[in-house]
Amino acid sequence: MGLLLRALRAARSCRAIALPAFNYEEVSGRGGAAAVRPQQPRRGLSARPRLDELFAIPSLSRLLKARVQGEARPELAARIQRLRDKERELQDTRELALQDESEDLRKLAEREIVSCEEEIAELKHQIVLLLIPSEETDNSDLVMEVTAGVGGQEAMLFTSEIFDMYRRYAAYKKWKFEILEYFPSEIGGLRHAVASIAGLDAYKYMKFEGGVHRVQRVPKTEKQGRIHTSTMTVAILPQPTEMELKINPKDLRIETKRASGAGGQHVNTTDSAVRIVHIPTGVTSECQQERSQIRNKEKAMQMLCAKLYNIKLEEENKKRNSARKIQIGTKGRSEKIRTYNFPQDRITDHRISRSVHHTECFMLGEEMLDEMIKTLKEYADYESLMEIISEHEK
Amino acid sequence: MRCLTPSLLRRFWGLLPQYLSVGPSQSPNLSPKQSSLRQSCSARPGLLTAPDVVSYWQKVFEKNGIPEARESSEYIVSFVLGAKTFQSLDSEKLRAPLTAVQQEQIQQLSCKRLERMPVQYVLGEWDFQNLTLKMRPPVFIPRPETEDLISLVVEEESRKCEVKNSAFSVAVPPPVILEIGCGSGAIALSLLCKIPQSRVLAVDKEEAAVDLTRENVHRLQLQGRIHVLHHNVSYGSAKHLLPWGPMDFIVSNPPYVFHEDMASLDAEILRYEDLDALDGGDDGMRVIKTILTLAPTLLKDSGSVFLEVDPRHPAMVEDWLTAQPDLFLTLRAVHKDFCGKPRFLHIQKQSR
Repeated sequence: MGLLLRALRAARSCRAIALPAFNYEEVSGRGGAAAVRPQQPRRGLSARPRLDELFAIPSLSRLLKARVQGEARPELAARIQRLRDKERELQDTRELALQDESEDLRKLAEREIVSCEEEIAELKHQIVLLLIPSEETDNSDLVMEVTAGVGGQEAMLFTSEIFDMYRRYAAYKKWKFEILEYFPSEIGGLRHAVASIAGLDAYKYMKFEGGVHRVQRVPKTEKQGRIHTSTMTVAILPQPTEMELKINPKDLRIETKRASGAGGQHVNTTDSAVRIVHIPTGVTSECQQERSQIRNKEKAMQMLCAKLYNIKLEEENKKRNSARKIQIGTKGRSEKIRTYNFPQDRITDHRISRSVHHTECFMLGEEMLDEMIKTLKEYADYESLMEIISEHEK
Repeated sequence: MRCLTPSLLRRFWGLLPQYLSVGPSQSPNLSPKQSSLRQSCSARPGLLTAPDVVSYWQKVFEKNGIPEARESSEYIVSFVLGAKTFQSLDSEKLRAPLTAVQQEQIQQLSCKRLERMPVQYVLGEWDFQNLTLKMRPPVFIPRPETEDLISLVVEEESRKCEVKNSAFSVAVPPPVILEIGCGSGAIALSLLCKIPQSRVLAVDKEEAAVDLTRENVHRLQLQGRIHVLHHNVSYGSAKHLLPWGPMDFIVSNPPYVFHEDMASLDAEILRYEDLDALDGGDDGMRVIKTILTLAPTLLKDSGSVFLEVDPRHPAMVEDWLTAQPDLFLTLRAVHKDFCGKPRFLHIQKQSR
């Protein structure tokens, strides 16, 4: 645990330098070859505490040893082996270079050292990436739920803006965005809405957006010009596959408006709303977004599955207690994660104490939001890596 | 109209510039007194939003005894605003004032609804499964129950593929499907979309239905895999249909309403839909029997018939099949609709 704290502290001090401008930090500053070494076009995790520092931590070597001996993934074991070989090669070359008297040969050796160091850095980077555990849900699609919090109409207006931001973000990431539920308020705000988001890495990115979002500004409804603080909540629920969540059809009650009466050809009604009740848990979902009843049923089912899967995951997660700053799931949902301060044109993510400017641009849901999420992702990766390393602290 | 409060009434005058020109059969007529009120207020066009207009027409529909008043009003307003349902309108569209053109469109469509025209005909389109299909009187409007019929056929096809694949490990040829009584083409087109490379022969005895199916085929760009045939199915139909090959499936939502029930149907159905598409004769089985009699000749060995029927029919069909052993047909399964009523029959040709 001590190590984790130390690492967190290191990361925090590092963040102050690294995050604001997205420095592409160099990987290592050791040795005379530093001057000719190209800057590594990578950022964040690979560089945060420098890779060399990371690899100097004794528990990491213990971890690597354990992984090689244990059931490491072959690609990981192979890279660890290659790293050792390369490190030995580098050492040998260095010694040879010192002994060499010919200028030409020394230059040749130096070139070899540089290429060796580059490959070592690359290997370390790949090893780190392979060590980061992926969540079983990482490849899922997801269901996003937005709900207005404190602040009345202003909170609902903000909820609508945030919902639109994610809709645009999904378009930016070329994900499929489909509204499952939408409950607007009178003056153009949004009380509650649910959407399904599907596409490459959708959950991997969106999972960092769950939590309480806070807005500080003069509401349109405010006559005195006072700044109000309002909130809204985002919940990100991974969408289970049929393998991950099995539902017995007998546990479901499907409610429609056609239930009474003859049905079939005898009636021609248009109300296609569907409500599904999961009898054992009492969890319900409903949909009336579509004119086709079966489509409403499919969408309601999608929501129901996500809700039930989430309950299952929460139960599993209860057992694992984690001290991470970036929390996914229920633990993170009640946490204030971000503030949108309009008078100061500033957005602050409280988990990583990172502030950026240009609220309007951020809320377009394009590069700026993407950069923020990437930073969060790198930080979370880093945290989970440190957690693993600390498990090998003896 | 009489139910509106004067202030609400005033807000809506801008909406109703031509209301008085509506024919005498439209009941919510304005009294001369109200119409003068309209004239005095028409200079101030009210800023009406979608929810305002929805609740206005809902009240008009309720006053005039139109069923599903709220839903009808919501579908019409959403349609004019370019959305499918009121619930899928975003907050911006809900807040924006309607243009005069939009208000007039809504009024025209709502007047049709006041004549008990089904909403699907009023809009000229409706959704079935994932498809949006053109709807036009008097062609039968597909009911939501029938969406489950598609799922049953798709399940059976994928089950067959699994069995064959594991047995011979060769590619299964895509199925040939006959649909009897295609109406708007809803069943045939959904099956084409859901079963890759399938081919469909769709027949209907009504030219209006054949035309509408063809229009929907073109709209969805599916003309390569479907043949639409104007043909009245009878006991002698086999020679007309067999040239398209023996079938893997015969699918139909035949007229199955018992003749005595016809008079009790809603005005929407009686006034607008082709009643031949509903009236199944005294026992509702007239067309069902024709289809089952033709089935052994048209089907491949182990081919299947999928039918939507009245909940009283499963037992009747089973008895009838027992009395016709030379048809070599077996009732394989009765499936319930989403309301729990026995609605779908899976009948299979015995392999010899």
